Amino acid sequence: MTKQEQVKAIFIEEAGEIVEKLDVDIIRFEENSNDFNLLNEIFRGVHTLKGNANAFGFTRLGEFVHHFEDLLDYYRSTKESIEANNLELFVESVDVVKEVMGCELNAIEQLPQSYTECLEKIKRLLALKKNISKPMTEQNSVAELNDLASEFGLSSLENEENDIEKSIKFHQALQTDELNLYKIDLNLDIDCYKRGFDYFIFLKILSERTNFLESFFDMKNVKTISEFKSDENGIANVTVVVLTLQRREDIEEIFEFLFEHEFHITQIEPAVIKKADIKIEAALSTAFQTAPSPAPSNANAPKSTIRIDTIKLDELFDSVGELVITQNFIAQNEKIRSIEDEAINRTIETLSKITKKIQDRVMSLRMIAIKDTFEKMKRVVRDTSKKTLKEVHLIVQGEDTEIDKTMIDSLSDPLIHIIRNAIDHGLESNSDERLRAGKNAEGVIALRAFHKSGNIVISVSDDGRGINKERVLQKAIERGIINENENLTDSQIFSLIMQPGFSTAEAVSDLSGRGVGLDVVKTSIEKLRGKIEIDSDEGCGTTFSIVLPLTLAIIDGMLVRTADEIYIIPTLSVVESFRPEKEIVHIIKGRGEFVNLRGECIPIIRLSTVFDIKTQKMEAWESILVCVETEGGRIAVMIDELLGRQQVVIKTLGKSLAKIKEISGGAILGNGDIALILNVDELRPLNEISHV
Amino acid sequence: MEINGDALTIDLDMSMDEIVEFEEFIRPRIEYIEKIEIEENGLLKSSALLSLLVSIKKTRPEMEIPFLDKGWTMSPIYGTVHWIYHD
Repeated sequence: MTKQEQVKAIFIEEAGEIVEKLDVDIIRFEENSNDFNLLNEIFRGVHTLKGNANAFGFTRLGEFVHHFEDLLDYYRSTKESIEANNLELFVESVDVVKEVMGCELNAIEQLPQSYTECLEKIKRLLALKKNISKPMTEQNSVAELNDLASEFGLSSLENEENDIEKSIKFHQALQTDELNLYKIDLNLDIDCYKRGFDYFIFLKILSERTNFLESFFDMKNVKTISEFKSDENGIANVTVVVLTLQRREDIEEIFEFLFEHEFHITQIEPAVIKKADIKIEAALSTAFQTAPSPAPSNANAPKSTIRIDTIKLDELFDSVGELVITQNFIAQNEKIRSIEDEAINRTIETLSKITKKIQDRVMSLRMIAIKDTFEKMKRVVRDTSKKTLKEVHLIVQGEDTEIDKTMIDSLSDPLIHIIRNAIDHGLESNSDERLRAGKNAEGVIALRAFHKSGNIVISVSDDGRGINKERVLQKAIERGIINENENLTDSQIFSLIMQPGFSTAEAVSDLSGRGVGLDVVKTSIEKLRGKIEIDSDEGCGTTFSIVLPLTLAIIDGMLVRTADEIYIIPTLSVVESFRPEKEIVHIIKGRGEFVNLRGECIPIIRLSTVFDIKTQKMEAWESILVCVETEGGRIAVMIDELLGRQQVVIKTLGKSLAKIKEISGGAILGNGDIALILNVDELRPLNEISHV
Repeated sequence: MEINGDALTIDLDMSMDEIVEFEEFIRPRIEYIEKIEIEENGLLKSSALLSLLVSIKKTRPEMEIPFLDKGWTMSPIYGTVHWIYHD
């Protein structure tokens, strides 16, 4: 790689990180647009990106982020409240930055249409803002500012009887040719809450369409608690002063569901105020300065990190694996163990502890909390929710669950697809349909990560319609995926939707429904040695669970022996081990052996049968049973002897052995012997094997 | 809603059901609650909460409700909201 290529690679990496962070931060900011520390953080990211882009000659990206930076700078320096529609523009801008960066890096000449549109919006908003705040550029003395503030009554705006008049006067001073000023009087009836209306609903709608919004609640008629009823409106009047680009008809439309006597709109003509445009911004700042300061963001918390090439990390990881094997060899070597020297024994013990510590540290280097991936999914949920016009509430659980970095990188795309699918097809078409089904109008998507049976499970659940099994079966038969006579379990039926080309969607949307998604998702997860399980209850919802192995090269295993073979059971899966009494072992004809463990009937799996080992037939009560938690429920693995617990380094098996699904890998033991690691989820009871 | 001695802390973003619940809670205890603190992280969902706070204040003017006493609040969604409740 030439020096220039190296520098470019650094740019790509850094710019990618900045954009990734922007993507997350902008959604966090949308949730709390009072967090000006976070806005500063976003501004810094955009500023850095601008510098880097221009340095590399990516002028189109540079041009866009330059204007975006100006807009961010305006808001961060004025600390002005950001209107909801302008927040949307911020989010859009980050999207454009991502797209344009892609075009620049891939030397694509044609920029997306959104580039020009969004840039225009930014420029227009900035022009409007700067027009309003023109006086900012003028030098004003403190005395002048105070005079102006008192002229508009801003210094004593609170609790004044004539606040409304002062507010109007103040907003008149901000008026330009484009902006209209309205005074809206709302007198909602006593039963307005029961009719589903509230003053704040209208304030929210107004805020989305206006530039400045101020309201005054007249609460003088509110009764004392003895006569008070929360569900009855006791507010006599609310006056709202708005400055907006919208026409009167557009504002009237907001109140179209109210009775005529409940609202009154007055358009205020611009006032001719000499020098009134001077120092408005300063006065405005004075008003805003009294506002509560937002909670500090932790975005600026110092980070003490260094970049390490993942290849070096992998090498270190392999070396530690070898170190663990060597340490085990020393710890288990008969000759060494026979040395009766306390100092040597102590040293071996210390070596063992240090090795374990190094191993844990190195393992943790590759482990990353899934939090960042989940943060990105918030954006996916938000965007899909807007596109599909469905209200969605996202629940996130287990975001601190750690997962191998290589897996995280490959997990985003499948998760995005599953989430979009859940919102687009899983949830009901609209809130009416949900309400009719006795659900909340707002759909719920739950994103969870947790450990189960030694695996990591990432699940996406929706509380929507669920999968219609009959329809899936019918479609699969129509498309020749299955035969009419096939007898499938629920799980097998649900899995059909991941077959290539399978889609029951009636309409193809730009989100999902092309029938080319879920099979790709399935393939991607299988590449990670994982699998997807689908569980659905019609009318109640669907859960997609991505089950991934830890796949870290070192696991904690329980060494067991059957005949002359040694196997390793991942300790995370082991519940308990015991020698059963004869009375609790039962044989059911055609279904195999079971052990009744404290009332729970658990199938017995003979390893000698699974691996076809020739051994003397032993009864279950003469052996040891290891109770193991698997995805299909508990099983009791029958073995001859428990040898102990040990950290083992997983070695991949050759192509021929990799086909044996009951084995997930191999390991070299301390004495040099090789042991196979059991894939307990594939150890099936006899009846299931015959069924399959 | 959290009560600590004679101080009550409530959330700003209460739904109507929660406001009714709050009303039922405060009614029999209005005499011994000295202060109502509002967690201002959320967004006012209903003006009924504002009304209820005013009603409480009118019933026991000596009760401390800093949020209400301030007379105004600023929100990124609603802009600046003022209220006047005394004659």
